[in-house]
Amino acid sequence: MEPNGILIFGELTNKCGLRPVVKELITKSRELKTKLWNQKISVCVIGPRIKYDDIIKELEEYGADEAVIVNDDRLKDYNTIYYSDIFTQLALKYPPRIILAGATYIGKEIAAYTAAKLETGLTADCTDLSINDINLLVSTRPTFGGKLTADILCKTFPQMATVQEHIFTAEKTQNKSNINVIFNWIDLDKTENKIQITERKEKNSGHRSLSDAKIIVSGGAGACKDDGFSLIYQLAQRLGAAVGGSREAYERGYITKSQQIGQTGTAVAPELYIAVGISGANQHIGSITNSKKIIAINNDPEAPIFNYADIGIKGDLFKVLPELIKKFD
Amino acid sequence: MNIVVFIKQVPDTDNVKWTENNNIDRANTDCIINPLDKQAIEAALNIKKINNAHTTAVTMGPINAKCILKEAIALGMDEAAILCDSKFAGSDTCSTSKVLSGIIKEKYPDTDLILFGQSAIDGETSQTGPATAVRLNMPFITHVKEINISDNDTLVVNQETDGYKTTYRVEMPAVLCINNYAIQPHIPSISGYMKAQDYEIKSYNFYDLNLSETDTGIKGSPTSVVKVFRNEMHRNCKMLDEEKDKNYPDFIFNEIKKVMEN
Repeated sequence: MEPNGILIFGELTNKCGLRPVVKELITKSRELKTKLWNQKISVCVIGPRIKYDDIIKELEEYGADEAVIVNDDRLKDYNTIYYSDIFTQLALKYPPRIILAGATYIGKEIAAYTAAKLETGLTADCTDLSINDINLLVSTRPTFGGKLTADILCKTFPQMATVQEHIFTAEKTQNKSNINVIFNWIDLDKTENKIQITERKEKNSGHRSLSDAKIIVSGGAGACKDDGFSLIYQLAQRLGAAVGGSREAYERGYITKSQQIGQTGTAVAPELYIAVGISGANQHIGSITNSKKIIAINNDPEAPIFNYADIGIKGDLFKVLPELIKKFD
Repeated sequence: MNIVVFIKQVPDTDNVKWTENNNIDRANTDCIINPLDKQAIEAALNIKKINNAHTTAVTMGPINAKCILKEAIALGMDEAAILCDSKFAGSDTCSTSKVLSGIIKEKYPDTDLILFGQSAIDGETSQTGPATAVRLNMPFITHVKEINISDNDTLVVNQETDGYKTTYRVEMPAVLCINNYAIQPHIPSISGYMKAQDYEIKSYNFYDLNLSETDTGIKGSPTSVVKVFRNEMHRNCKMLDEEKDKNYPDFIFNEIKKVMEN
């Protein structure tokens, strides 16, 4: 069968709603498919036996042409082997031209498994996707520790890519058409499951979530000393802002994983992003470009972050932050 | 039990040097063990301490990548091997996983546990570990923080992802990708360095693997980089100087207020 269409992994949240990245990928795929003879956009949703009416309605509103649903109560919790195996079987049954997944922990595992099974290429954590003159997918991603950006092509089908949440913007379609729904039964008993989950606990980090914050104050290597992060928290508290940080800040224990912004963390799109002591490697920049406004504070006037900011303050954060905190007291 | 840790030589991306043409000056940028791979070594050594394992570090790379294997021996690994061949050059994650699974099949078939770092700082794909596991038909778990051996062939593994802490039981042989391992990597001892100095690193090439030329290197890689560029500026930045622009706190205050009241 000729590879046809775009297949998206329809990742669900733990409350069984579509993850935002799925709607973002469908929105982007509407643009891609105009250069692919309007081939269909299919979304594969894997989950427990629940009502899928709301999910299907949402997929339709964002412009998916087809929903392929596999439901079984053994799929209530994410299990690498079951989920990856199901997704691979569907990709073999309906061979797509392109496969897209969110660059989430789950999306990346499934994509890596599927790519190896299908003997095809996969590009991780893309910051842009487009179709070139010869109808191939161009995957753009930061590389080399975020110092460079690369365009990557895949010579085999399906061409696969993962994209972080909040890199693309989700928009409902203006010309909605009826979605085709397929409930696909897969015999899980045939899957050899060598991994058992013995315990799963939801983590409550106690920190304000980055995804719905209007303002984010974020610290980098420059803030990883003395009371740098304490100043960041003080300012954030006064602004009602969430606190984030770079990979260095995470690796050095100043923030939790859920607060890490960048290629290996999460992407954000607040109204205002305040970057404190962040030099601005691509891997960080790629994940903040959708911020409406960016203010950067750094003592190095040559720091790349200033190229991406709307307002820059050249100065020592240990002097600047106390001044700003004072203004909001 | 036998443990293989796959490690990667990476440029020290925190101290990159640039050429005049805006390319990375690879010759003058220092190379180090990928930080998360160092954690994987620590995990292997920790299992060895408790369960008496044989530990092997393996890397694929140019001949000078031997230096990271020397470091692995200095850290306490029992054995080290390099996969070095011009036929491997330019491999993407797909063909790399073929080479790595190939060496396990051909030279280390009795491996019980394979460890990777979750990702490498130069590529950050997180794909090579899972892809290698698939090719070996082994189960894999990513984002692993702690490993315990419960009996001879079962691992109890703690994983930490964005929203969850999960404990798994997984049958060996298995592949685990380490992220923020519970114990910090140690620094090699003097005797470790002395042992490393005398250690003869094993060397394997394309012909040691049961692969065809279309499996490896550029030929075997479905993906290829068609263009590399440094990011262009994309916002016009109004610059203020903390020392010279004394009214900057008022200016920023007003900018932030606008957003807060919006």
